[in-house]
Formats: sequence, C-alpha cells, structure tokens
Amino acid sequence: MSEPAERETIVIIDDDYAIRLSCKKILSKMGFRAETFEDGAQGLEGVARLKPGLAVVDLKMPGISGMEVIARVHEMDPEIVVVVITGYPTIDTAVAAMKCGAYDFLPKPFSPDELRLIVNRGLERRRLAIESRRAEVERALLKRRFVTFVSHQLQTPLVAIHQYLSVLKNLEHTEDAAAKRQQWFDRCLARTGEMQTIIKDWLTLARIEGDTLSRQRVKVDLKRIVADILATYEEMAGQNSVSLEARMPEDACCVRGDRNCLSVLFDNLIVNAIKYNKPGGKITVSGEAREGEIEISVIDTGVGIPERYRQLLFDEFFRVEDEGNKKTAGTGLGLAISKKIVSEMGGSIAVESEVDVGSTFRVRLLAYRAQAGEEDNNRSPDELTSEKDTDRGR
Amino acid sequence: MSSPAKKILIVDDDHDFAEAVSSYLEAQDYVVVKAHEGREGLRLAKMERPDLIIMDIVMNERTEGFFTVQELRRTAELKAVPIFVLSSLYSKITDFGVPPDSGWLAHDEFFSKPVDMPALAEKIRQRIGEGEAKA
Repeated sequence: MSEPAERETIVIIDDDYAIRLSCKKILSKMGFRAETFEDGAQGLEGVARLKPGLAVVDLKMPGISGMEVIARVHEMDPEIVVVVITGYPTIDTAVAAMKCGAYDFLPKPFSPDELRLIVNRGLERRRLAIESRRAEVERALLKRRFVTFVSHQLQTPLVAIHQYLSVLKNLEHTEDAAAKRQQWFDRCLARTGEMQTIIKDWLTLARIEGDTLSRQRVKVDLKRIVADILATYEEMAGQNSVSLEARMPEDACCVRGDRNCLSVLFDNLIVNAIKYNKPGGKITVSGEAREGEIEISVIDTGVGIPERYRQLLFDEFFRVEDEGNKKTAGTGLGLAISKKIVSEMGGSIAVESEVDVGSTFRVRLLAYRAQAGEEDNNRSPDELTSEKDTDRGR
Repeated sequence: MSSPAKKILIVDDDHDFAEAVSSYLEAQDYVVVKAHEGREGLRLAKMERPDLIIMDIVMNERTEGFFTVQELRRTAELKAVPIFVLSSLYSKITDFGVPPDSGWLAHDEFFSKPVDMPALAEKIRQRIGEGEAKA
C-alpha cells in the first residue's frame, strides 16, 4: 500500500487505555501516523524519537505531570502543537495549560469530531507558524544581501567620482588635467545621476515591500499611460536608433490600480526594451483586452535573454551581463520592482525571449470592472484619455 | 641609453575609475594598459607583459579579481609580476577568512577604494621604480 511520503506524526500521551485506543483509531483513519504512550516519561521519549507535528497530552497522569510534559515537549521543539485532554474542564486548568504553551484543550469526554477538528486546526497553525518563520529567514537573508549589494552599487560610482576628484587635485598643474577636466566633470555628474537612480529605485522597492507605497485604487487607462511613457522616451529611443510603436486597441484598456505604480511598471519595461535593443531595432507595445483581463506586451527586437537567466530575471539586483551589454546602466532593481507591482495588483508578468531576436514581456492585469450600478462600456475614446478619469460611470 | 618605460596593467570594470587612475600614473610617466574584465586582463597581461598589475576584485562576478589573480599566478611568465589588489567592497582581505600569507590570494599589496593616489604611486615606485627610467 502506498502512503503519502510526508505523513504527519501525532503522539498521544494518556494513561487511559480507552482514550489511547480511540485516539489512535480516529487519527489513523485521518491518515496520520498515530503513536500512543501511557505516561509522560515514555511519551517524552517518543516525542524525541518521532518528532511529531502535534501531541495530545492528558493533563492528569501518574508520574510526570501533563503540564511538565508540555514544557518539556516545547523545550525539544517549540513548534510542536500540544493539545491537552482534561477530565476537569474548568477554566482554571484550561488557562494553566495554555500558560504552559498548550494550543487548545479537549474536555473529557470528547467526540471523534471534536478531536478531528482540534487536530486539524492545530496542524494548520503549525504549518502557518513554520511558513512564517521560513519567510522571516528568507527576508533576513535577502535583507543582508540587499544591504551588501546596494552598498556596493552606491560605492562604485562614489569611488569613481572620488578618484576623479583626487586625481584632478593631484594633477592640478599638468596640461593633461586641464584637457581632461571638462570631460571628467561630465563623468562625475553622470555618476552622481547613477547614484540618484539607485537610491530612487531602492526607495521604491522598500515602499512596495513595506506596503507604504501609495495604494490608490482608481480606474487607470493603460492606453494613456503607455502613450505618455512612449512620448517621454522618444528622444532616448532616437539616440539608440530604435523606433517605438504603440499597438493598442481602439477601446480603452482600463484597470483598477495605482496610477504611479502602473507608470513605474511600464516605464521599467519600456526603458529595458530600449536599453537592451540593437541599433535599428524596434519596440512595440501592444495591448489586448480579453475575458476580463488586459494584457500589455512590450516587445523588443533586442539582444534577448539567454534561457539560463530567465528564471533569475525578476530577482533583485539580477542583471544580464554579456559582451553586448557591458555599458548598460541600471540598478538591477527595475524588474524586481515591476514584478512586485504586478503581484500587488493581482496580475502576472512573464517573459519570452530568444537570444539575438528579442524579448517580450507580457503583463496581465484584471480589467477594470464598474462598481455595481455603474455602466462602463462603450465609452468614447475622448472621455477615456482624461487624466482625471476615475470611477465615474456614464 | 634609456630603458623602455615601465608598464602597468589596470584591470577594473569601472571605466571611470580606471581612467582616473591611469591618467595619474601616465602623468608619472608610466605606460598604462586597461582591461575591464578578468579574462581580458589575463589576455593583456600575457600580451603586454606589464611590470605591475592593478586588479579590482568585484567585477561581473563577485570574485572575478581573485580568480584572475590565481590564474595569473599559475601562468609561468607572469608569476613574478607584482599584483596590487584594489577593492571597495572589502576593506580587509580577512573578510574572506584567507590569511594574507596563505598564498591563495597571492597579491602583493591591498588598497581599499577610493585609493590615495600619491600613496599608490609611492608603493608602485618602490616596487618597480620610476615610470620612465632616466637615462
């Protein structure tokens, strides 16, 4: 007979044979591995050996008391959920057991349903506790990495600026320095700009993570946002010899969300499409509304992303580095920010890419739905281009 | 007769940093060659046979400089070339748990970035002499 690989173990410690037998029967039927012990000493030995997820402990036993068993179980592993069985279901014993770290108590006599309910609830709590602890550890690791990387990212331009200034100072009287002064000042300015971008991105990310980013939920027309961003980058695209095109549907592409966040999102994707493009390349932003969703694709004809990097693409600080992109400026935070924004709005972002052919970033967001009583279809395009356009129905 | 000018190879992925340092050293009459990543540095070292190498650590890879130093030390004709390691991320090498004399890192001097140019130039002079050997 095949069994689930990770069958949860439950330990029952009770001096009452009938209770041990019935608990074991009920819990085994639920698919758990149930092991019973008749006193505290054996029970603790069993807990140490079996590492259960949950322990059912009788409070009133000869030998080691139930209270002490609870304490000792938690000394071994604080995440083992303890449910106590008590023949004296008074508030006092219940409170005492809770104080000792019990999760809940079952007053004798109890029905199989009561046992099932309490065990399931206890294990669910354990699962949540373990998950949240794991998330905490991950967050701590990320934070540590984050600090190291950001420090280095800030330090790199700062060091370059410092070095230029110190050399300028030391070379004051040479002709060479005079000739280079202007050029180096420009470089210093460019590098301070780089630092400002890093700090800006860093703050955006911190705001998203700290949930303090403005969480406005208004009706936003992505058609309008995309048009605005494309207009902003017309010049940059020209300098990079790439062309920009919007291929948006006739109708508005409205979602409910935060206008600034959505701008940041598409700004990041479009800037990337320009930066990682090739001279003569093209960027198409296309939109499609279907089945309650708006899908916006940012398609470039650029250098593409090797498959091995695609999974890491949305990680903080990850940047595709290869021969072609040596000088691409960036903080490595753009896509991490984009992904967080999309997730926050309940959407998704995906990438398809072919090296040397180009990449497509597809963002899917829930389409805006009028609130009850609102009629929001068939609006004329004129109305929808209004920047102040909010939840107004017609 | 004057012997040929002393040559220094700078390996640093930050173009601005390399530019600033090389300008200073050129003003001291050294000939400077620049590489912006480890592999290119290795290639130039073999081709140009510099008298001294200035090496950054964190480039595309976090430890690219270390591995480039190791590789240089494995190359017979470059074994003896002094290597000065410059880094901003590590203010001291013991961060890696590598004793400086273990031979693993095998650099000759360590400077933390930003680097004090006159101090660097002085160490270079002590090691390989003036830029253009005077007649």
